Amino acid sequence: MKKVVLAFLALLLLSYGAKAHADEIVFGAALSLTGKLAKEGNLVKSGYELWKEMVNKKGGIKIGNKKYKVNIKYYDDESDPNRGAKLVEKLITEDKIKLILGPYGSESVFATSAITEKYGALMVQGGAAADKLYTRGFKNLFGIYTVATEYMDDILEMLRNKSPKPATVAIIYSNDLFSAQVAQGAKKSAEKYGYNVVLYKDYPKGTQDLSTVIVEIKGKNPDIILGCGHFQDTIVIVKQSKDYKVNPKALAFSVGPALPDFVDSLKSDAENVLGAAQWTTTLKYKDPVFGSNTEFVKAYKAKYKEDPAYHAAGGAAAGVIFQRAIEKAGTKDDIAKIRTALSNYSEETLYGKIKFDQTGKVVGKGMAVIQIQNRSQRTVYPEAVAESKAVYPKPAWK
Amino acid sequence: MIILQILVNGFLLGGFYTLIGVGFTLVWGVTNIINLAHGAIALLGAYITYFIFQYWHLDPFVTLPVSFLSMFLFGYVLQRYLMNLVVKAQIFMLLILTFGLEIFLVNFMTTFFSADFKSVTPDYAGSSLVLGDIVIPYIRLGVFAICVIVTLLMSFFLDRTWTGKAIKATSLDIEAAMMSGINPAKIYALTFAFGSGLAGLSGSLLSLTQAFSPNIAGGLTLRAFIVSILGGLGRIEGAFLGGLVLGVVETMSSYVIGESYKNAIAFGLMVLMLIIKPSGLLGRKYYAEVKH
Repeated sequence: MKKVVLAFLALLLLSYGAKAHADEIVFGAALSLTGKLAKEGNLVKSGYELWKEMVNKKGGIKIGNKKYKVNIKYYDDESDPNRGAKLVEKLITEDKIKLILGPYGSESVFATSAITEKYGALMVQGGAAADKLYTRGFKNLFGIYTVATEYMDDILEMLRNKSPKPATVAIIYSNDLFSAQVAQGAKKSAEKYGYNVVLYKDYPKGTQDLSTVIVEIKGKNPDIILGCGHFQDTIVIVKQSKDYKVNPKALAFSVGPALPDFVDSLKSDAENVLGAAQWTTTLKYKDPVFGSNTEFVKAYKAKYKEDPAYHAAGGAAAGVIFQRAIEKAGTKDDIAKIRTALSNYSEETLYGKIKFDQTGKVVGKGMAVIQIQNRSQRTVYPEAVAESKAVYPKPAWK
Repeated sequence: MIILQILVNGFLLGGFYTLIGVGFTLVWGVTNIINLAHGAIALLGAYITYFIFQYWHLDPFVTLPVSFLSMFLFGYVLQRYLMNLVVKAQIFMLLILTFGLEIFLVNFMTTFFSADFKSVTPDYAGSSLVLGDIVIPYIRLGVFAICVIVTLLMSFFLDRTWTGKAIKATSLDIEAAMMSGINPAKIYALTFAFGSGLAGLSGSLLSLTQAFSPNIAGGLTLRAFIVSILGGLGRIEGAFLGGLVLGVVETMSSYVIGESYKNAIAFGLMVLMLIIKPSGLLGRKYYAEVKH
């Protein structure tokens, strides 16, 4: 009798375990949790985690009449795209996961999306903005960041209407894929708006001393300095601009000012620096999972005790879009159907109105412009949704 | 005017290169060890300064003796109880040993201190000396001054003290040195200790001028390598000249040709030196070569 009961219990346990597994949709992500992109990588992960929590709180992803819990398997790529590619291969072949949430960084997405494409797995990414990602004829990659070449366009458009009217621009950029494209786009935009580009120069990725470049900028005395790099170089440029008393009318960056750590690292030196932003906390968008962007910000603050950065929002939005596509496709296993649902996707999310062209690139989203004012990021453009007026020209360093 | 500013920057940077090169060239010249872990040891010094500044809010310049002494001890123990085991083997074995040590230290730092960039920013960071059109950040000036002073002290130590002379004697003729009552094992350990101490010191100074992470260890070792080749092995004055030349060439090439070509130019310079004058600017035949 005892044996029978035990066997029954064991069976119950087994079937319960199996059932719990069948009620789950597992996503995979290989992110930079350590290394030079650790900051951004962890932010994207926070976004994924918050989305997972929110969906699971509501019962899960709905397919037909059944709800499936979300689970995400993470690996750390140590900020090495090659390692990221290997880990995504592991996710697909060993862990049997075909729904991949993207990493942060253009190079990482570039390398890992080649793997998802090869194995016919799907990737939705809210972490990379290089144009080059979408010129390879891939069918399985969908990205929600406004692409690199359009990054600085809105800042330059905003500044051309200011007085005294800025005439000259210096553009410096880190020589990685993403930053080089931002710089190319910025140069094109600058010429389109009638600025004179007096300096256009690259520096090696990860450089920690840019004093020569800063001195060279000083020699040209430009009205606007555009820095197209990553968080760490942005900090270096601001610090060394102060060291060498370089005083442009506007100092703007593609990446950096939008991150909360920007003000923490630079303190008062961060004041009046401009930045391009994929997303800000104050944008008024509806969202199918969180309710609205404002609700998302509230939930994020409750969980992480800090304001979400655009990376985190991008991560959450990527999850939301993946989820909505799966729900619309009505399947969690038929990759072709989910792909079709993504291609036809058109919905307002916390990240903006999302729609993909046939290459998988988001279209018509644009960029917001922010400025550090009184130690916080304020949206200053587009003026219709701005919180405050942009300070221009930037006061000289103290 | 901009050229003048860039020259000044080059000299200031050269001061730092001198200091990181001095320890490296001394170890190479005297003990014939090419210490590939030099940059990693420098970073240990940088982390010492970082943590002391972070937790006890001590002025970073005050931490310099701490990082020098700890790395000095570290270097002494390392040479005495590890390197000495293989010192009589082929130079290739020592190279592998220091390479392994570099990998170990970098991974150790990555594990315990994370791969994130750290920087030391005291309150007076960002203030500069302005001389007409030339701007000199005070911190860089301070770093330069310390580099020069330490290099001079090191030179004085080698030329004027008994221990210093013993170090030189050992590098010149080990047998004659032994006959005069010098214990080479001790001298080797002492030299390595000085090399490591100077590396730690330069790392601490590095943390003041730029952000650092364990990943930059290799780059630092390479700079020290170039300085040694340029200046001539085992010579303090050589490292001084080599460091300044490297600093000025790097900043000038960054300005004239482009920041991205800086490394290529620096290495090109080194190769050129090896072709034209393999013993370096101030190197003479005897150092490091007599022994083998």
